[in-house]
Amino acid sequence: MSWCGCYPAASPVAVTLRKLVHVAVGSGSYRKGPALYAQQTAFLHQIQPSGTLEDEQTCQASTADHEPGAMNAEDRVYHERFMREAINMAELALVSDETPVGCVFVKDGEIIGRGMNETNRTLNGTRHAEFVAIAGILSKHPVSIFKETDLYVTVEPCVMCASMLRQYGIRAVYFGCWNERFGGTGGVLNIHSDPSVDKPYPVTGGIFREEAILLLRKFYVQENEKAPEPKQKRTRELKTEIMPMDLHAPKQCA
Amino acid sequence: MVSLRGGDEALHSAFAQLDLDPRNGRLVALKTKEEVRAALETFEAHVVELPARYAGVLKDVIQTALPDLKTADFQHLRRVAQWKFLPPRLQKQFKSPRGDDESFCEDDNAELEDTVRYFLVCPTTAISKATLQDILRRNPPFMDRDRDPRIFHVEVPALAPTSPEQAAQWSLKYWPISYKNTNPYGPHPSLVARNTAEIEAHAGKWLSLADSVAQLLHALSLGERVGCVIVDNNGERQEIIAVAGDCRWRSSSGAAEPHQGPGNVMAHAVERAIAMAAKKRLRAAGKDPDLLDRKLFCDWPLTDLEKQFYEQDNILPNGYLCVDLDIYITHEPCVMCSMAILHSRFKRCVFAQRMPMTGGLTADAVATKVDKGIGWTSSLGQGIFWRPSELNWKLLAWEWIEEDAKDSTNDCMNTTGNSDTLHA
Ligand SMILES: [Zn+2]
Ligand SMILES: [Zn+2]
Repeated sequence: MSWCGCYPAASPVAVTLRKLVHVAVGSGSYRKGPALYAQQTAFLHQIQPSGTLEDEQTCQASTADHEPGAMNAEDRVYHERFMREAINMAELALVSDETPVGCVFVKDGEIIGRGMNETNRTLNGTRHAEFVAIAGILSKHPVSIFKETDLYVTVEPCVMCASMLRQYGIRAVYFGCWNERFGGTGGVLNIHSDPSVDKPYPVTGGIFREEAILLLRKFYVQENEKAPEPKQKRTRELKTEIMPMDLHAPKQCA
Repeated sequence: MVSLRGGDEALHSAFAQLDLDPRNGRLVALKTKEEVRAALETFEAHVVELPARYAGVLKDVIQTALPDLKTADFQHLRRVAQWKFLPPRLQKQFKSPRGDDESFCEDDNAELEDTVRYFLVCPTTAISKATLQDILRRNPPFMDRDRDPRIFHVEVPALAPTSPEQAAQWSLKYWPISYKNTNPYGPHPSLVARNTAEIEAHAGKWLSLADSVAQLLHALSLGERVGCVIVDNNGERQEIIAVAGDCRWRSSSGAAEPHQGPGNVMAHAVERAIAMAAKKRLRAAGKDPDLLDRKLFCDWPLTDLEKQFYEQDNILPNGYLCVDLDIYITHEPCVMCSMAILHSRFKRCVFAQRMPMTGGLTADAVATKVDKGIGWTSSLGQGIFWRPSELNWKLLAWEWIEEDAKDSTNDCMNTTGNSDTLHA
């Protein structure tokens, strides 16, 4: 257990200091040790937009935009092109009676995988769009491809998907609306950037946010119309990826 | 094939035929993230020394002076304490010589310990010491005295204790605490006790089964030695719904691939077991379980042991996801798998080996053996199980503590051959 000394949270008190750890990254308290990366993407971006830290992850973080508003026009066109594709997948989910969340994975400007939620048809609460797309990608590519791959997804990845993406080593994540119930990249937890043995990744939210939300609204209306009788049950049993009451404006943008 | 129907007895014999020894140990309920926070948060309070009979007066005075004070926020702290019930540290501090002979006990002509009381006024953030002194001096019993009232600053726990042990501990350390049999930061103690009693007798069996499936896939070089068992254990009913091992090193062609990088993360044991349970549900609903199937999910049986349970049509029809099912895992599941368990709405979860660097369930730090003696090992602190307000589900979770292990210095990380950076 030699790593104990390197872990930033070595005493019980440290649990409450987690927030401070995030902030302290910029002042050099970040420890490399056996690859425990500390918080340094979205937070850092707010704290130190100039990106004055030396290490590799920080440089990566500082080049990422956290809000689409901060993008230049050229980048915006690029990202919106792929988010449009993700929305197309979400629309496909909607006509398949699945929660309308869609995604595409992009490498070198090419889409290498597409996914949409399949939780209803599989009766499996973990079949989120990201899983479905990755199952396709890994049938053709090695895992190492994710190092150069970005995800575009209409709704912020949930805690589960956020962790999966980090374990696979995704390069960056772009999403539409926030997921205030299960969000793993800022909506509820910060799985993309919390201390972990895996490399953190930068996230950018809010691309076509309104469209992503509109699709979800349509879905809940559609579900309720289809099942007037067991309505209560169906909405109660809804979907593990997002829930109707979660459709507020994102915290960050509100 | 062995039928597992027919209740406990049949199940016992089915388990016996597997030729497995149940693990010997006990269950320890996990602390929620909120409980961990509650255990660490303190604030500083004003404490005033006064004669016992003036405690009521002071209470009214403070109420009038600070009408917005929410005493409900510190109901777990005794408002008025006798000297003899104070922690030793405070007894020493409060008894320090005043340098004068005007003390209440002399006024009252009695023993100090019996007549003097210590009144916990409020957090120091609610009022300054000077203002408080001012208020006290305008009211009895301080108004006619030359000396300033004695005001102390005392550190106290900010939130209510979640167990009688914790209340006793805090009373010794901080200030007299009152404990109500409740837990505002996690499952109610009686709920935990009832569920522990329901599952404790069989938990060692399920973990032993999880061990063996883990071993099988590991021996094929297809996965890490992590295994998982899903059980329907409700009342008389005891059914093994799914048994799955990790197969992250199984390539899309089915062969074992080099153990480099994270492997196929989606093939963690928990993900596979959940997917198999879902396929059984599809089958029970008369639908094609292979609909939308994808090889990379590895959600069909890869060993005879997995197959034996996959083929049983023993999942109750009309159920939803994994509601009312329990999951047993050889290791603390990673953040992804922890959330998959929550998404699947499991009822209860038990894991054997803590994974402090990668596990998603634990929220607290634990004492562990390090090179020289005992050290503290923290966890990621995510506590992804009982999270009704944020993550919309109340999962009960326990850590399995192995008992009378033959080798007392044994580090479970080594016995399973898994590294501490492994994601289970
Ligand atoms: Zn997800
Ligand atoms: Zn896992």
